[in-house]
Amino acid sequence: MKIVKKAQAGTMQSSDLMVFLEPAETLNVTIESTVLKQFGPLIRAKVDEVLQKHGVEAGEVRITDRGALDYAIEARLETAIMRATEG
Amino acid sequence: MVTSLLSTDDLTQARALLEATGLQFETPYDDMVGIFEAGRLVAVGARQGRTLKMLAVAPSHQGGTLLDEVVTELVGRGYQEGVDSFFVFTSPALAPNFETLNFHLLAASGKTALLEYGDGLKRYLARFTRLVRPGNNGAIVANCNPFTLGHRYLVEQAAAAVDQLFLFVVREERSLFPFGARMRMVQDGTADLANVTVVDTSWYAISSITFPTYFLKDGDPGGAIQMELDLTLFAQRIAPHFYVKTRFVGSEPLCGTTAAYNEAMHRILPPLGIEVREIERKNADQQPISASRVRDMLLRGELEGIAELVPVSTLDFLLSSEGIKIWDKGGAR
Repeated sequence: MKIVKKAQAGTMQSSDLMVFLEPAETLNVTIESTVLKQFGPLIRAKVDEVLQKHGVEAGEVRITDRGALDYAIEARLETAIMRATEG
Repeated sequence: MVTSLLSTDDLTQARALLEATGLQFETPYDDMVGIFEAGRLVAVGARQGRTLKMLAVAPSHQGGTLLDEVVTELVGRGYQEGVDSFFVFTSPALAPNFETLNFHLLAASGKTALLEYGDGLKRYLARFTRLVRPGNNGAIVANCNPFTLGHRYLVEQAAAAVDQLFLFVVREERSLFPFGARMRMVQDGTADLANVTVVDTSWYAISSITFPTYFLKDGDPGGAIQMELDLTLFAQRIAPHFYVKTRFVGSEPLCGTTAAYNEAMHRILPPLGIEVREIERKNADQQPISASRVRDMLLRGELEGIAELVPVSTLDFLLSSEGIKIWDKGGAR
Protein backbone atom coordinates (compact mmCIF):
# COMPACT_ATOMS: atom_id res chain seq x y z
CA MET A 1 0.00 0.00 0.00
CA LYS A 2 1.10 3.52 -0.70
CA ILE A 3 1.11 6.30 1.90
CA VAL A 4 -0.83 9.10 0.23
CA LYS A 5 -1.50 11.44 3.15
CA LYS A 6 -0.43 12.31 6.66
CA ALA A 7 -1.83 10.12 9.39
CA GLN A 8 -1.32 9.52 13.08
CA ALA A 9 -2.35 6.83 15.54
CA GLY A 10 -1.74 5.95 19.17
CA THR A 11 -1.28 7.94 22.36
CA MET A 12 1.50 9.22 24.59
CA GLN A 13 0.44 7.09 27.51
CA SER A 14 2.73 4.58 29.14
CA SER A 15 2.86 1.20 27.34
CA ASP A 16 1.63 2.86 24.16
CA LEU A 17 3.21 4.59 21.19
CA MET A 18 2.48 7.41 18.76
CA VAL A 19 2.87 6.69 15.05
CA PHE A 20 3.19 9.48 12.48
CA LEU A 21 3.13 8.69 8.74
CA GLU A 22 3.78 11.03 5.84
CA PRO A 23 4.20 10.51 2.10
CA ALA A 24 7.84 10.48 0.93
CA GLU A 25 9.93 9.28 -2.00
CA THR A 26 11.90 6.75 0.03
CA LEU A 27 11.26 4.79 3.20
CA ASN A 28 12.66 6.51 6.27
CA VAL A 29 11.92 5.11 9.72
CA THR A 30 12.88 6.94 12.94
CA ILE A 31 12.16 5.42 16.31
CA GLU A 32 12.32 7.14 19.66
CA SER A 33 11.63 5.19 22.77
CA THR A 34 12.08 5.39 26.50
CA VAL A 35 13.36 1.80 26.22
CA LEU A 36 15.41 2.24 23.03
CA LYS A 37 18.57 0.94 24.68
CA GLN A 38 16.96 -2.33 25.73
CA PHE A 39 14.50 -2.96 22.90
CA GLY A 40 15.45 -0.71 19.95
CA PRO A 41 16.29 -3.55 17.52
CA LEU A 42 13.15 -5.51 18.47
CA ILE A 43 10.91 -2.48 17.92
CA ARG A 44 12.58 -1.84 14.60
CA ALA A 45 12.14 -5.48 13.51
CA LYS A 46 8.45 -5.35 14.38
CA VAL A 47 7.96 -2.08 12.50
CA ASP A 48 9.73 -3.46 9.43
CA GLU A 49 7.63 -6.62 9.57
CA VAL A 50 4.34 -4.68 9.65
CA LEU A 51 5.43 -2.29 6.89
CA GLN A 52 6.42 -5.25 4.75
CA LYS A 53 3.18 -7.10 5.45
CA HIS A 54 1.25 -4.11 4.09
CA GLY A 55 3.63 -3.50 1.21
CA VAL A 56 4.62 -0.04 2.37
CA GLU A 57 7.80 0.76 0.44
CA ALA A 58 8.03 4.53 0.83
CA GLY A 59 7.11 7.11 3.43
CA GLU A 60 8.29 9.03 6.45
CA VAL A 61 7.60 6.85 9.50
CA ARG A 62 8.11 8.43 12.92
CA ILE A 63 7.50 6.48 16.09
CA THR A 64 7.70 7.67 19.68
CA ASP A 65 7.27 4.78 22.05
CA ARG A 66 6.78 4.42 25.79
CA GLY A 67 7.41 0.74 26.18
CA ALA A 68 4.58 -0.67 24.06
CA LEU A 69 4.37 -4.44 23.59
CA ASP A 70 4.60 -6.09 20.16
CA TYR A 71 0.88 -6.30 19.51
CA ALA A 72 0.36 -2.64 20.48
CA ILE A 73 3.07 -1.64 18.01
CA GLU A 74 1.42 -3.74 15.32
CA ALA A 75 -2.08 -2.39 16.04
CA ARG A 76 -1.05 1.27 16.14
CA LEU A 77 1.09 1.03 13.02
CA GLU A 78 -1.63 -0.81 11.08
CA THR A 79 -4.20 1.78 12.10
CA ALA A 80 -1.94 4.60 10.93
CA ILE A 81 -1.29 2.79 7.63
CA MET A 82 -5.06 2.39 7.05
CA ARG A 83 -5.58 6.07 7.74
CA ALA A 84 -2.69 7.10 5.50
CA THR A 85 -3.84 5.01 2.55
CA GLU A 86 -7.63 5.08 2.52
CA GLY A 87 -9.26 7.25 -0.14
CA MET B 1 -12.30 11.95 27.61
CA VAL B 2 -10.48 14.92 26.15
CA THR B 3 -12.76 17.56 24.66
CA SER B 4 -12.41 20.98 23.10
CA LEU B 5 -12.90 23.90 25.46
CA LEU B 6 -15.12 26.40 23.71
CA SER B 7 -18.01 27.68 25.83
CA THR B 8 -17.75 30.58 28.25
CA ASP B 9 -18.16 28.19 31.18
CA ASP B 10 -15.33 25.98 29.81
CA LEU B 11 -13.02 28.97 29.57
CA THR B 12 -13.93 30.26 33.02
CA GLN B 13 -13.07 26.87 34.48
CA ALA B 14 -9.84 26.75 32.45
CA ARG B 15 -8.79 30.13 33.78
CA ALA B 16 -9.53 29.09 37.36
CA LEU B 17 -7.60 25.82 37.00
CA LEU B 18 -4.59 27.57 35.48
CA GLU B 19 -4.52 30.22 38.17
CA ALA B 20 -4.89 27.58 40.89
CA THR B 21 -1.72 25.91 39.59
CA GLY B 22 0.26 29.14 39.29
CA LEU B 23 -0.11 29.66 35.55
CA GLN B 24 -1.82 32.35 33.53
CA PHE B 25 -4.49 32.27 30.88
CA GLU B 26 -2.54 33.44 27.84
CA THR B 27 -4.24 34.30 24.59
CA PRO B 28 -3.89 33.79 21.70
CA TYR B 29 -4.02 30.06 21.07
CA ASP B 30 -5.12 27.86 18.16
CA ASP B 31 -6.60 25.01 20.12
CA MET B 32 -7.56 24.35 23.74
CA VAL B 33 -8.63 21.04 25.22
CA GLY B 34 -9.46 19.66 28.63
CA ILE B 35 -10.76 16.74 30.63
CA PHE B 36 -13.91 16.96 32.78
CA GLU B 37 -14.86 14.81 35.70
CA ALA B 38 -18.44 15.15 36.96
CA GLY B 39 -18.74 18.53 35.27
CA ARG B 40 -15.53 19.85 36.79
CA LEU B 41 -12.49 20.61 34.63
CA VAL B 42 -9.50 18.63 35.98
CA ALA B 43 -6.93 19.01 33.18
CA VAL B 44 -6.27 21.63 30.51
CA GLY B 45 -3.82 22.36 27.72
CA ALA B 46 -3.53 24.58 24.65
CA ARG B 47 -1.50 24.88 21.48
CA GLN B 48 -0.38 28.03 19.70
CA GLY B 49 1.35 27.14 16.45
CA ARG B 50 4.16 24.75 17.43
CA THR B 51 4.08 25.64 21.11
CA LEU B 52 2.09 23.76 23.74
CA LYS B 53 1.12 25.96 26.67
CA MET B 54 -1.26 26.40 29.58
CA LEU B 55 -0.78 22.75 30.54
CA ALA B 56 -2.21 22.09 33.99
CA VAL B 57 -3.70 19.23 36.00
CA ALA B 58 -5.78 19.80 39.14
CA PRO B 59 -3.71 18.98 42.26
CA SER B 60 -6.28 16.33 43.26
CA HIS B 61 -5.72 14.51 39.96
CA GLN B 62 -1.95 14.71 39.54
CA GLY B 63 0.20 11.61 39.25
CA GLY B 64 -2.09 9.88 36.75
CA THR B 65 -2.28 9.97 32.99
CA LEU B 66 -4.29 13.16 32.45
CA LEU B 67 -1.31 15.18 31.21
CA ASP B 68 -0.48 12.37 28.76
CA GLU B 69 -4.04 12.45 27.43
CA VAL B 70 -4.12 16.21 26.99
CA VAL B 71 -0.74 16.32 25.25
CA THR B 72 -1.69 13.37 23.01
CA GLU B 73 -4.80 15.21 21.87
CA LEU B 74 -2.99 18.50 21.23
CA VAL B 75 -0.17 16.82 19.28
CA GLY B 76 -2.57 14.58 17.30
CA ARG B 77 -4.77 17.52 16.28
CA GLY B 78 -1.81 19.77 15.57
CA TYR B 79 -0.25 17.11 13.34
CA GLN B 80 -3.49 16.90 11.33
CA GLU B 81 -3.28 20.66 10.86
CA GLY B 82 0.21 20.40 9.40
CA VAL B 83 2.41 21.06 12.44
CA ASP B 84 5.24 18.52 12.50
CA SER B 85 7.21 19.49 15.59
CA PHE B 86 6.05 20.66 18.99
CA PHE B 87 7.69 22.63 21.79
CA VAL B 88 6.86 23.21 25.40
CA PHE B 89 8.13 25.72 27.96
CA THR B 90 8.11 24.65 31.56
CA SER B 91 10.15 24.99 34.73
CA PRO B 92 13.33 22.86 34.88
CA ALA B 93 11.84 20.95 37.83
CA LEU B 94 8.87 19.81 35.72
CA ALA B 95 10.94 18.92 32.64
CA PRO B 96 11.15 15.18 33.55
CA ASN B 97 7.33 14.95 33.35
CA PHE B 98 7.64 15.81 29.69
CA GLU B 99 10.76 13.73 29.09
CA THR B 100 8.78 10.59 29.93
CA LEU B 101 6.43 11.61 27.08
CA ASN B 102 9.40 11.59 24.67
CA PHE B 103 10.02 15.31 24.85
CA HIS B 104 13.71 16.24 24.79
CA LEU B 105 15.31 19.07 26.69
CA LEU B 106 16.74 21.65 24.28
CA ALA B 107 17.92 24.24 26.77
CA ALA B 108 17.38 25.37 30.32
CA SER B 109 18.13 28.80 31.68
CA GLY B 110 17.18 30.00 35.13
CA LYS B 111 13.50 29.28 35.71
CA THR B 112 12.64 28.17 32.20
CA ALA B 113 13.26 24.98 30.25
CA LEU B 114 12.47 24.47 26.56
CA LEU B 115 11.65 20.97 25.39
CA GLU B 116 10.87 19.58 21.95
CA TYR B 117 8.65 16.64 21.08
CA GLY B 118 10.51 14.27 18.76
CA ASP B 119 13.96 14.48 17.26
CA GLY B 120 13.67 17.63 15.18
CA LEU B 121 16.94 19.17 16.37
CA LYS B 122 18.86 15.99 15.58
CA ARG B 123 17.38 15.85 12.10
CA TYR B 124 18.10 19.57 11.57
CA LEU B 125 21.76 19.13 12.52
CA ALA B 126 22.10 15.97 10.43
CA ARG B 127 21.15 17.97 7.32
CA PHE B 128 24.45 19.84 7.56
CA THR B 129 26.87 17.12 8.66
CA ARG B 130 28.29 16.83 5.14
CA LEU B 131 29.07 20.56 4.98
CA VAL B 132 31.00 20.80 8.23
CA ARG B 133 34.79 20.63 8.38
CA PRO B 134 36.41 20.48 11.81
CA GLY B 135 38.45 23.57 12.57
CA ASN B 136 38.35 26.97 14.18
CA ASN B 137 34.93 27.88 12.82
CA GLY B 138 32.69 30.88 13.32
CA ALA B 139 29.00 31.74 13.01
CA ILE B 140 26.75 34.68 12.21
CA VAL B 141 23.00 34.55 12.74
CA ALA B 142 21.17 37.13 10.67
CA ASN B 143 17.78 37.83 9.15
CA CYS B 144 19.16 39.61 6.05
CA ASN B 145 15.92 41.42 5.29
CA PRO B 146 17.35 42.26 2.74
CA PHE B 147 21.09 41.39 2.44
CA THR B 148 23.08 44.66 2.58
CA LEU B 149 26.68 45.83 2.26
CA GLY B 150 26.62 45.95 6.07
CA HIS B 151 26.02 42.19 6.18
CA ARG B 152 28.62 41.71 3.48
CA TYR B 153 31.21 43.65 5.50
CA LEU B 154 30.47 41.64 8.65
CA VAL B 155 30.74 38.37 6.69
CA GLU B 156 34.06 39.39 5.11
CA GLN B 157 35.57 40.38 8.46
CA ALA B 158 34.39 37.20 10.13
CA ALA B 159 35.36 34.89 7.27
CA ALA B 160 38.92 36.27 7.34
CA ALA B 161 39.24 35.35 11.02
CA VAL B 162 38.10 31.70 10.93
CA ASP B 163 38.54 28.47 8.95
CA GLN B 164 34.89 28.09 8.02
CA LEU B 165 32.13 30.63 8.59
CA PHE B 166 28.52 29.50 8.93
CA LEU B 167 25.98 32.15 8.06
CA PHE B 168 22.66 31.16 9.63
CA VAL B 169 19.77 32.85 7.89
CA VAL B 170 16.65 33.18 10.06
CA ARG B 171 14.05 30.74 8.76
CA GLU B 172 11.02 32.42 10.34
CA GLU B 173 8.54 34.08 7.99
CA ARG B 174 7.95 37.29 9.92
CA SER B 175 9.80 39.69 7.66
CA LEU B 176 9.11 41.78 4.57
CA PHE B 177 11.24 39.48 2.40
CA PRO B 178 10.24 35.80 2.46
CA PHE B 179 12.82 33.25 3.58
CA GLY B 180 13.43 31.93 0.05
CA ALA B 181 14.24 35.43 -1.23
CA ARG B 182 16.51 36.25 1.73
CA MET B 183 18.35 32.95 1.33
CA ARG B 184 18.94 33.60 -2.37
CA MET B 185 20.20 37.16 -1.77
CA VAL B 186 22.64 35.84 0.85
CA GLN B 187 23.85 32.98 -1.34
CA ASP B 188 24.35 35.27 -4.35
CA GLY B 189 25.98 37.94 -2.20
CA THR B 190 28.54 35.57 -0.63
CA ALA B 191 29.16 33.13 -3.50
CA ASP B 192 32.70 34.46 -4.05
CA LEU B 193 33.78 33.77 -0.45
CA ALA B 194 35.11 30.21 -0.45
CA ASN B 195 34.95 29.53 3.28
CA VAL B 196 31.40 30.83 3.85
CA THR B 197 28.60 28.27 4.13
CA VAL B 198 25.02 29.51 4.14
CA VAL B 199 22.53 27.51 6.22
CA ASP B 200 19.13 28.15 7.78
CA THR B 201 18.21 28.39 11.47
CA SER B 202 15.07 26.25 11.27
CA TRP B 203 13.18 26.81 14.58
CA TYR B 204 16.32 26.70 16.66
CA ALA B 205 17.69 30.25 16.63
CA ILE B 206 15.87 33.60 16.59
CA SER B 207 12.53 31.98 15.84
CA SER B 208 9.00 32.42 17.12
CA ILE B 209 9.88 29.52 19.46
CA THR B 210 13.26 30.53 20.85
CA PHE B 211 12.84 34.30 20.72
CA PRO B 212 9.32 35.42 19.78
CA THR B 213 9.70 39.04 20.81
CA TYR B 214 12.64 39.54 18.39
CA PHE B 215 10.02 40.22 15.77
CA LEU B 216 8.22 42.81 17.89
CA LYS B 217 10.67 45.66 17.99
CA ASP B 218 11.28 46.98 21.49
CA GLY B 219 9.36 43.99 22.75
CA ASP B 220 8.24 43.11 26.24
CA PRO B 221 10.43 42.28 29.24
CA GLY B 222 9.78 38.54 28.73
CA GLY B 223 12.26 38.95 25.91
CA ALA B 224 15.21 38.79 28.31
CA ILE B 225 14.46 35.20 29.34
CA GLN B 226 13.90 34.21 25.75
CA MET B 227 17.26 35.63 24.68
CA GLU B 228 18.95 33.52 27.33
CA LEU B 229 17.24 30.35 26.13
CA ASP B 230 17.98 31.18 22.51
CA LEU B 231 21.67 31.76 23.22
CA THR B 232 22.03 28.77 25.55
CA LEU B 233 20.52 26.52 22.90
CA PHE B 234 22.93 27.96 20.34
CA ALA B 235 26.00 27.50 22.52
CA GLN B 236 25.20 24.04 23.87
CA ARG B 237 23.48 22.26 21.01
CA ILE B 238 24.12 24.03 17.70
CA ALA B 239 27.64 25.48 17.87
CA PRO B 240 29.40 22.18 18.79
CA HIS B 241 27.95 20.42 15.74
CA PHE B 242 29.53 23.06 13.48
CA TYR B 243 32.79 23.36 15.47
CA VAL B 244 31.82 26.98 16.00
CA LYS B 245 33.98 28.70 18.59
CA THR B 246 33.23 32.34 17.78
CA ARG B 247 29.97 34.14 17.13
CA PHE B 248 30.26 37.36 15.15
CA VAL B 249 27.77 40.17 15.35
CA GLY B 250 27.51 43.71 14.03
CA SER B 251 27.38 46.54 16.56
CA GLU B 252 23.83 47.81 16.94
CA PRO B 253 23.37 51.55 17.37
CA LEU B 254 19.77 51.67 16.12
CA CYS B 255 17.44 48.92 17.31
CA GLY B 256 16.80 48.41 21.04
CA THR B 257 15.87 44.73 20.84
CA THR B 258 18.94 43.85 18.80
CA ALA B 259 21.22 45.91 21.05
CA ALA B 260 19.86 44.01 24.08
CA TYR B 261 20.42 40.73 22.23
CA ASN B 262 24.05 41.69 21.55
CA GLU B 263 24.49 42.56 25.21
CA ALA B 264 23.03 39.19 26.21
CA MET B 265 25.50 37.47 23.85
CA HIS B 266 28.46 39.00 25.68
CA ARG B 267 27.00 37.88 28.99
CA ILE B 268 25.87 34.34 28.13
CA LEU B 269 28.05 32.91 25.37
CA PRO B 270 31.62 33.26 26.76
CA PRO B 271 30.91 31.19 29.93
CA LEU B 272 29.56 28.47 27.60
CA GLY B 273 32.78 28.46 25.56
CA ILE B 274 31.77 30.68 22.64
CA GLU B 275 33.75 33.83 22.05
CA VAL B 276 31.76 36.89 20.92
CA ARG B 277 33.29 39.34 18.45
CA GLU B 278 31.34 42.52 17.86
CA ILE B 279 32.30 44.23 14.64
CA GLU B 280 31.74 47.92 14.10
CA ARG B 281 28.95 48.69 11.64
CA LYS B 282 29.93 49.86 8.20
CA ASN B 283 28.71 53.38 7.44
CA ALA B 284 27.40 55.04 4.30
CA ASP B 285 26.85 58.81 4.37
CA GLN B 286 27.94 58.88 8.03
CA GLN B 287 25.04 56.62 8.97
CA PRO B 288 25.25 52.91 9.72
CA ILE B 289 24.07 50.64 6.92
CA SER B 290 21.11 48.64 8.10
CA ALA B 291 18.45 46.52 6.47
CA SER B 292 15.72 48.64 8.04
CA ARG B 293 17.20 51.74 6.39
CA VAL B 294 17.04 49.93 3.02
CA ARG B 295 13.45 48.85 3.66
CA ASP B 296 12.41 52.39 4.55
CA MET B 297 13.95 53.72 1.32
CA LEU B 298 12.26 51.00 -0.73
CA LEU B 299 8.87 51.69 0.80
CA ARG B 300 9.30 55.42 0.18
CA GLY B 301 10.40 54.72 -3.40
CA GLU B 302 13.87 56.28 -2.96
CA LEU B 303 15.63 53.85 -5.25
CA GLU B 304 18.65 56.02 -6.16
CA GLY B 305 20.44 55.78 -2.82
CA ILE B 306 19.94 52.05 -2.39
CA ALA B 307 22.79 51.08 -4.71
CA GLU B 308 25.20 52.48 -2.08
CA LEU B 309 23.77 50.24 0.64
CA VAL B 310 23.42 46.82 -0.99
CA PRO B 311 25.63 44.59 -3.17
CA VAL B 312 24.89 44.35 -6.89
CA SER B 313 23.40 40.89 -6.40
CA THR B 314 20.82 42.25 -3.93
CA LEU B 315 20.07 45.27 -6.11
CA ASP B 316 19.44 42.97 -9.07
CA PHE B 317 16.96 41.02 -6.99
CA LEU B 318 15.22 44.11 -5.59
CA LEU B 319 14.69 45.45 -9.10
CA SER B 320 13.60 42.11 -10.59
CA SER B 321 9.88 41.64 -11.14
CA GLU B 322 9.85 39.16 -8.23
CA GLY B 323 11.62 41.64 -5.97
CA ILE B 324 9.41 44.59 -6.88
CA LYS B 325 6.31 42.58 -6.01
CA ILE B 326 7.62 42.17 -2.47
CA TRP B 327 8.26 45.81 -1.59
CA ASP B 328 6.01 47.72 -3.96
CA LYS B 329 2.71 46.96 -2.27
CA GLY B 330 -0.14 48.71 -4.01
CA GLY B 331 2.02 50.97 -6.19
CA ALA B 332 3.83 53.04 -3.58
CA ARG B 333 5.94 54.64 -6.30
